[in-house]
Amino acid sequence: MALPNQQTVDYPSFKLVIVGDGGTGKTTFVKRHLTGEFEKKYEPTIGVEVHPLDFFTNCGKIRFYCWDTAGQEKFGGLRDGYYIHGQCAIIMFDVTARLTYKNVPTWHRDLCRVCENIPIVLCGNKVDVKNRQVKAKQVTFHRKKNLQYYEISAKSNYNFEKPFLYLARKLAGDPNLHFVESPALAPPEVQIDLAAQQQHEAELAAAASQPLPDDDDEAFD
Amino acid sequence: MDDLEKAIVISFDESGAVDSVLKSQAVAFVQQIKETPSVCSICIEKLCFCKLVQVQFWCLQCLHEVLRAKYLSMMPGEKSFIRKSVFGMACYESLNANDTNCVRLLDGPAFIKNKLAQVVVTLIYFEYPLIWPSVFVDFLPNLSKGAAVIDMFSRVLNALDDELISLDYPRTGDELAVAGRIKDAMRAQCVPQIVGAWYDIVLMYRNSDPELCASVLDSMRRYISWIDIGLIVNDAFTHLLFELMLVDGLPDQLRAAAAGVVLAVVSKRMDPKPKLALLQSLQMNRVFRLVARDGDSELVSSVASLLTGYATEVLECSNSLSLEDGKGVSLELLNEVLTSVFYVMQNCEVDSAFSIVQFLSVYVGTMKGLSTLTETQLLHVGQILEVIRAQIQFDPMYRSNLDVLDKIGREEEDRMVEFRKDLFVLLRNIGRVAPDVTQMFIRNSLASAVSSSEDRNVEEVEAALSLFYELGESLSDDAMRNGSGLLQELVPMLLSTKFPCHSNRLVALVYLDTINRYMKFVLENTQYIPMALCAFLDERGIHHPNANVSRRASYLFMRGVKLLKAKLVPYIETILQSLQDTVAQFTKMDSVSKEFSGSEDGSHVFEAIGLLIGMEDVPLEKQSDYLSAMLTPLCRQVEVALVNAKSQNHEGSLAHIGNIQQIIVAINALSKGFSQKLVITSRPAIGLMFKQTLDILLEILVVFPKIESLRCKVTSFIHRMVETLGTSVFPYLPKALEHLLTESEPKELVGFLVLLNQLICKFGVGVHDILEEVYPIIASRVFNILPNNDILSGPGSCTEEIRELQELQRTFFIFLNVIATHNLSSVFLSPKSGGSLELMMQFLLHACCNHKDILIRKACIQIFVRLIKDWGTDPNGEEKVPGFRSFIVGAFATNCCLYSVLDKSFEFRDANTLVLFGEIVMAQKVMYEKFGNLFLLHFVSKGFSNIHCPQDLAEQYCQKLQENDIKALKSFYQSLIEKLRLQQNGSLVFR
Repeated sequence: MALPNQQTVDYPSFKLVIVGDGGTGKTTFVKRHLTGEFEKKYEPTIGVEVHPLDFFTNCGKIRFYCWDTAGQEKFGGLRDGYYIHGQCAIIMFDVTARLTYKNVPTWHRDLCRVCENIPIVLCGNKVDVKNRQVKAKQVTFHRKKNLQYYEISAKSNYNFEKPFLYLARKLAGDPNLHFVESPALAPPEVQIDLAAQQQHEAELAAAASQPLPDDDDEAFD
Repeated sequence: MDDLEKAIVISFDESGAVDSVLKSQAVAFVQQIKETPSVCSICIEKLCFCKLVQVQFWCLQCLHEVLRAKYLSMMPGEKSFIRKSVFGMACYESLNANDTNCVRLLDGPAFIKNKLAQVVVTLIYFEYPLIWPSVFVDFLPNLSKGAAVIDMFSRVLNALDDELISLDYPRTGDELAVAGRIKDAMRAQCVPQIVGAWYDIVLMYRNSDPELCASVLDSMRRYISWIDIGLIVNDAFTHLLFELMLVDGLPDQLRAAAAGVVLAVVSKRMDPKPKLALLQSLQMNRVFRLVARDGDSELVSSVASLLTGYATEVLECSNSLSLEDGKGVSLELLNEVLTSVFYVMQNCEVDSAFSIVQFLSVYVGTMKGLSTLTETQLLHVGQILEVIRAQIQFDPMYRSNLDVLDKIGREEEDRMVEFRKDLFVLLRNIGRVAPDVTQMFIRNSLASAVSSSEDRNVEEVEAALSLFYELGESLSDDAMRNGSGLLQELVPMLLSTKFPCHSNRLVALVYLDTINRYMKFVLENTQYIPMALCAFLDERGIHHPNANVSRRASYLFMRGVKLLKAKLVPYIETILQSLQDTVAQFTKMDSVSKEFSGSEDGSHVFEAIGLLIGMEDVPLEKQSDYLSAMLTPLCRQVEVALVNAKSQNHEGSLAHIGNIQQIIVAINALSKGFSQKLVITSRPAIGLMFKQTLDILLEILVVFPKIESLRCKVTSFIHRMVETLGTSVFPYLPKALEHLLTESEPKELVGFLVLLNQLICKFGVGVHDILEEVYPIIASRVFNILPNNDILSGPGSCTEEIRELQELQRTFFIFLNVIATHNLSSVFLSPKSGGSLELMMQFLLHACCNHKDILIRKACIQIFVRLIKDWGTDPNGEEKVPGFRSFIVGAFATNCCLYSVLDKSFEFRDANTLVLFGEIVMAQKVMYEKFGNLFLLHFVSKGFSNIHCPQDLAEQYCQKLQENDIKALKSFYQSLIEKLRLQQNGSLVFR
């Protein structure tokens, strides 16, 4: 069943669904890739916007049709209807807003209801902001559900490729697949503090060795 | 397709192929249908006949939304119609079995079935148990229809868990209440039947449809935490679950699902006694062998999680149970499972909910306080040590990154440091409960690491040494000195070993740090001194090809020398010889181009040499030979450089600067080993050598007056010589100070003031004459540079400049404070100071009242207190300093001691401010002592009345002031101020 009827290309293409609370930066993230356009000010997405993003791998070109869905409920359109036939997904939250992380399980559940067993990446966005509220070591959801987690900063292009690379490897079933050419990205708007970010990554790695908090431990209350 | 179907299909289209006008029409039409009153029956009809998945999905979504939004306002007939239709779909019914146009959703894709399950759960949310009590009971007979309905039933149960029960999602209070109601009703009504159905299904389908069984088991896993555990833990069901896990030939997915169920069983929250009985009844040892299968199969990881979860529960039982309640049994179970747990830790992907370190720490905790450990316990301790060693090893993949310390290497090192912390705590705890096993383990680790294959040896050696290093932290001073247990063997082994991978940065560093940690053992066992010296001096240490290692070695060598120096006298000759090249190398380096900065700059070699040759135990003749051998070439180099600089152009001389700088640093470090007593009192010949050196180094200021880095280094050498030469440094000061004063940038002035502060603090009135010379110059410079008022950092100002000014201001206040408190206030009055006194007083007064830094305010008030004591005279006598009295009484007293305190920003709850307040009260006391009624007249009659202080309070104040209890005065004055603040209600501002 061809749903939706995307214009076809002669290289592998995949439907990628991007979900997460409103304002977490899904649209900004997708638009960093310059085959899509470029937009600075926040305008809530209505329903969905589909962006075809091409990447060049050692096995050839691939395309992700990125379904950038509305985070705000009132602009939902078909909501989980957009997930149908999704082949991979990104769940986005904002490390400067706790509530957006708290809602991640719900996004994950709604996604899995429609797309069973697809590769999913969890992305903590806006790590360029100095005053983050969700620390790297507080992010544990991905370990419970076997997702991949990346810290990203859409504004500074930090880790932009990582989610796509992970998904491409999973979809191709080839852990050694790599991008041979960087996609054209919009120039970074901010410079990320690499030292601070490395600190977070170290924390994250160290946190991976820690047990998950009990379910009834509410880390954020 | 009718219009609605078409519209739905179009509204789902995102290919861009549909005309945008048409699309918005379609979206509007669909929306319009959604709002018609009969939408539910429209949806249900479509669900029965339309085969398009978009339409099916849209209808289910629409039903879900309408139910959630409008359920309470729906008519009972409509509700019942929806209920019957939806339930029929979920049970694989069709309106007319013979009608080929009939659609059965259960034949469709998973996402349609999941969406249907969501709708069923929404009905359960509103209707169970009151309106639709039979939902589960009605489902059960339909299960006999086969896999499709069973699958749907599992989806409904899973959706019920996801949407309502599971605590993994944020829930409102209402939702929690509904979940509680549903669970209670199910427990009372149908849980046993559901469990019975699960059992029958698994039994019946395990061979024919393992996937179906796996999904049934998955539902079961979710429900175990809140249903009667007896329904699962019984002969029949337990037997079945273990059989599923154990029978080879069943698909992994099914066997793993069974393990998941058993894990839920062992994790169920229960009291420890029944819990232990449950754990014991499971005979878990039956499945131990399963983790040892090859590969990373789903089964292995699932059983691994089961075993770690089981072990955690058993350990918890043994910790909370007393001996008579079964502690022994739980320990037996624990010992039985531990070997498998260790295997899992070493060979499998560990469950994310399980923390190796935490589990092992609790286990090791059970051994605390035991006088002896059993053989099994000792065996397990050994296995834990193995686990620690494996966990702390770097991946050889990063070997070269770590060696050259590039970005990746640095990240990996940081990560490992963080990761190792908890493991090392565990290691030290083991070291305490089982010291012998731990030391034996470390010895064997070292021995086997030395002989391990090349592709792992760096990492193994590094890990073994790190273990040894960390062990040192848990040893007592006595154990360290006397070499308790195997240390007698281990330390010499460490000292004498040359690892094949010693050229590796990490190995070399941890090796040196470890030797340094065990240096106290060498102190008590002096026969090992030559070995220890060798380790530091040869290519393992200071002569290591990696500069990073070599500098670290210099530092650690110096630490070792400090500790051992009395015992090193016989080795001085040898040490000096082997350091010759390093010493020569150091002063050839250009410190400016150095890639490593910071404290470990390599100069510690000189400090170590100084410590050695500066001892009184070294005979005078030897000592002066050694010292001159060190100083002469260095001084010669400086002299040559200075002569060249004079004759050379600017660029040529710049080349020498880095060089000279290094030499000063070296001489400075060297001189630290010589005490004032030795240099001045017992061996003046040595003192003379330092004086000559000082002479030469001061010449640097003459030749390079404007090179800041050199001034800075020379200044710190003068600091050093003040300590070493004592008053003998005086003859050199005029020249030094004169040249240091030529530059008057804020930064240079700060350095200069710090030097003067040192001189004043060390020599007191001894530096009066010098100070009288320089003070007027300094004062006029500082007052020229600093603004009269606050240093403001407004927009457009350069922050670095402001920081420098603030620093200068702060240092200057401290300087004034040091002068005043060392009986040197007469310096302020010297005729040469000219007009600066007036300026200084204004400057201090402003700071006393307004400075943001409370500590500076305090320092300034202390200055006034001293000046009042020094210069204040009886009002009737002649004034020592004309105008001083009226300034103090007229300006300082009221502005600082009254108005600035009344200001709300003066925060009594702040500890520093409270100390400042104490000084302010002290100032009043001193003013009263010196000026008597004149002070009272101004402060009380004028000051207090200005702010409308009630007469009785003013009188009480006078009384308290005259008493001799400063504490009582302080607390009274505080309460007075607080009352006055209240009275003014913050409306008046004094300034």
